[in-house]
Amino acid sequence: MPLFGKSHKNPFELIKSVQEALIAVEKGDKKAEKATEDLSKNLVSIKNLLYGSGDNEPQIDIAVAQLAQELYNSNLLLMLINNLSRIEFEAKKDVAQIFNNILRRQIGTRCPTVEYICTKPEILYTLMKGYEKHDIALNSGSMLRECARYEALAKIMLYSPDFYNFFLYVEVSTFDIASDAFSTFKELLTRHKILSSEFLEANYDNFFSEYQNLLNSGNYVTKRQSLKLLGELLLDRHNFTVMTKYISNQDNLKLMMTLLKDRSRNIQFEAFHVFKVFVANPNKPKPILDILLRNKEKLVDFLTKFQTDRADDEQFNDEKAYLIKQIRELKPSEDTRASSSNQLSSQQSSSSSSSHHQHPSA
Amino acid sequence: MITASPSSPSTLLTTSSSSSFLWISNSRLPYKHSVNTMDNSSSLGQSGNSWPNGKDDYELGEVIGVGATAVVHSAYCKPRKEKCAIKRINLEKWNTSMDELLKEIQAMTACNHENVVSYHTSFVVKEELWLVIKLLAGGSLLDIIKHKMKTEDCKHGVFDEGTIATVLKEVLKGLEYFHNNGQIHRDIKAGNILLGENGEVQIADFGVSSWLATGGDLSRQRSRHTFVGTPCWMAPEVMEQVTGYDFKADIWSLGITTIELVTGTAPYHIYPPMKVLMLTLQNDPPTLDSVAEEKDQYKNYGKSIRKLICDCLQKDPSKRPTATELLKHPFMRKAKDKKYLVQNLLPCAPSIEERAKKAKNVKRPPGASGRLHRTETGDWVWSSDDDSSDPNDANKDSSANSSVGSGTQPNNNKIDNNNSASPTTTNNNINNNASSSSTSDNIIDINNVESSQNGVKNNQTSSSASSSSSTSHEVPSNANQGPQSGSDSCGSNNPAPSPQTINLVLRIRNSQKDLNDIRFEYSSDRDTAEGIAQELVQAGLVDNRDVITVASNLQKLIETNFEQNISMKNVIFALSHDNNGDEKEVPDEKLLIGFAQLSIAD
Repeated sequence: MPLFGKSHKNPFELIKSVQEALIAVEKGDKKAEKATEDLSKNLVSIKNLLYGSGDNEPQIDIAVAQLAQELYNSNLLLMLINNLSRIEFEAKKDVAQIFNNILRRQIGTRCPTVEYICTKPEILYTLMKGYEKHDIALNSGSMLRECARYEALAKIMLYSPDFYNFFLYVEVSTFDIASDAFSTFKELLTRHKILSSEFLEANYDNFFSEYQNLLNSGNYVTKRQSLKLLGELLLDRHNFTVMTKYISNQDNLKLMMTLLKDRSRNIQFEAFHVFKVFVANPNKPKPILDILLRNKEKLVDFLTKFQTDRADDEQFNDEKAYLIKQIRELKPSEDTRASSSNQLSSQQSSSSSSSHHQHPSA
Repeated sequence: MITASPSSPSTLLTTSSSSSFLWISNSRLPYKHSVNTMDNSSSLGQSGNSWPNGKDDYELGEVIGVGATAVVHSAYCKPRKEKCAIKRINLEKWNTSMDELLKEIQAMTACNHENVVSYHTSFVVKEELWLVIKLLAGGSLLDIIKHKMKTEDCKHGVFDEGTIATVLKEVLKGLEYFHNNGQIHRDIKAGNILLGENGEVQIADFGVSSWLATGGDLSRQRSRHTFVGTPCWMAPEVMEQVTGYDFKADIWSLGITTIELVTGTAPYHIYPPMKVLMLTLQNDPPTLDSVAEEKDQYKNYGKSIRKLICDCLQKDPSKRPTATELLKHPFMRKAKDKKYLVQNLLPCAPSIEERAKKAKNVKRPPGASGRLHRTETGDWVWSSDDDSSDPNDANKDSSANSSVGSGTQPNNNKIDNNNSASPTTTNNNINNNASSSSTSDNIIDINNVESSQNGVKNNQTSSSASSSSSTSHEVPSNANQGPQSGSDSCGSNNPAPSPQTINLVLRIRNSQKDLNDIRFEYSSDRDTAEGIAQELVQAGLVDNRDVITVASNLQKLIETNFEQNISMKNVIFALSHDNNGDEKEVPDEKLLIGFAQLSIAD
């Protein structure tokens, strides 16, 4: 049995062939068609080397190490990703598999590919841009999510200006792409708790003003998914500061009250899980308290009749009962606090307000 | 007021002839990328002409298939002047996480093979997801079987060997592709094999197919521990859920499908699902002779097809051949070409109009084996497979064009209708529990499920059982099955000489992750394992996805104690994974996370 499967090529030769084929494909001349075929074949060989094929076991460490080293030296990963659209359908999937495998490679506790990509962040930027092209969006997405598992790479993506493009990607009309982008977006915001809470705190205004658009989206899926994610983000204890900021803004409360009455039961339900945080806040800022007080009777009435068919959802019913009790017992705060000027400012520049208001000394 | 896409679809179409770009309504994202020069080359996987994402670009035609959460229409794409099929999935009724849905669609987009149904695009229209897929004029092989059995005598076999071999060869090519992709289909059956007007054969319904490996990553292949599929076609290891399963589960289903293509039905199709599971686990694998009603009924079928069935239906999955190996099976030598199917199979197919008519009148036949579906969506197959069609959806569909958003109405009405309409309580309860369970995780909507057959449960007992905060639940154990299984004890070949009673404890975590002990009694003359499992589900104590697991393990425990006098005191088994949660729990056998324990109480 030949050492490297049918191809008889060693890792060095394989990388070289892929590189040459890619250059020909890039040129797009008459040789391109043949080169595309060669490219696909060589990519299969590389994949088989990493994963094994049929009866052949995956290659031994030395070959894989050589291959990885060659991939870094030749800068081939970026080249492959840059030309992903030009690669055949099956070969695109092979690229993603090769990429993901190499990415996971460990030497002791080190992840050499992660370290490599940190020095070549273009790889990540290019992958993120992949969501703009139909034919490579999901392949790019699968590689991105693999990258997002590593904190160092997630950080680069989160802090890249291109991160904000996700707000557009998650709303594109093609569902598979939009929802793939959403799952990457969610991964970036929830996987590494401390990283993402720092990001959200530092970029609160930008982030939530964009996020508002998702919550108001005309696309049912965007609206439902983003609302659910919002609930998860706010209830994560790492995001305490972000949560207190969010629930101190009356516009946010108004939006949730509107969404509670959405025509979709699922959206109502997700809105409930955000709304409850506003009510449960022991230190409600005055504007929030005012809104709740103004709507006290209506809210009690509404909640009493809210999704009563979820009778067996114990937690939901407990929470609902708790909210009703809380709202019923709401009293205008006596010490309306001389801090009204503070409160005013928080109304005007809602989300930019500092976090002081949330912890009135009373 | 809600629009499907941010732009008018016509803009999307005119952006470029090879519009592989996404149309994004924001100037911050200019079309920076150079035009893909290869896009017009037909050798590429995806054609340069993309399918539009606007509702108004399509004219919906007849309904050709109905499932619990979806309706399939024939349709016409106006800008492309091309026919297609549109599967409309009501997302308000879609109770599992959206990730499951995405997985299905990812599975579809990752496929580009002539034997796998082509996916064109998908987009959101109000509260529905529209999946645009290729329209195959012939419908499913199940449609054809039924049509043929109605119009001619099929007693000695529905299709000739040539037809069966030709179809199977195409299906195997599709399966080979699937498996090489790291996917398992998990629901291979005649109802999911479609026939096109040029004799092309394609595998459809990715509803339950899933990536075997995480994100298609072949290095992290794991066998799966989820219970999914349609009982009659389901491999024993899938039912048992002990060792997990892999690609070979599809090969078993293919063997059952082969029998189906000969006889017109899957073995045990007359039994309720629980019974099917017990029979599959206990009996020797079915053969053409074992399913025949009279001797030599299928004598026209030769050795090679019998060998193929036997090879596929081996209880030990490792002994079953792979799809690639099966393509070299002697029986495949009888395969002919597409033309043969056009001449022999297509004429038997009901027309689209007939299928549409059928979709409207579809009723659940009593005793039909139902579908236990992990994604809790019931069926949204292409074919109007009687087994899984929901009469209410069919009715609803006639008005579906005008009122898309009717999904806001509580699902519970539906449950009652269904239960009273059908004698197969077991089956219906499972499906309906599933379709009515709410978006929040772990909730089993038992409130309005009336089990008219059992006459034991009512709303009070079931809800009080589930909401009781004590850690021990008493469950009345006089569970009887519906009329089909009535007095059958589940182990048909284990006569218990005199009634014996044992006390059992099921230790299982509830949806709040608290460990509970559920005590109940099993009496050999009154109870069946499946009946008890069913009750546990109805009482909200066991997730409906685990009903089979509980039943089969209960059965195992009881059998070893009653018959063999081996005192096995307890058994621990895996439960279906909770995919709703975003935090993935690591199953732990000792802590009973993702596992449950059944034991005999002293």
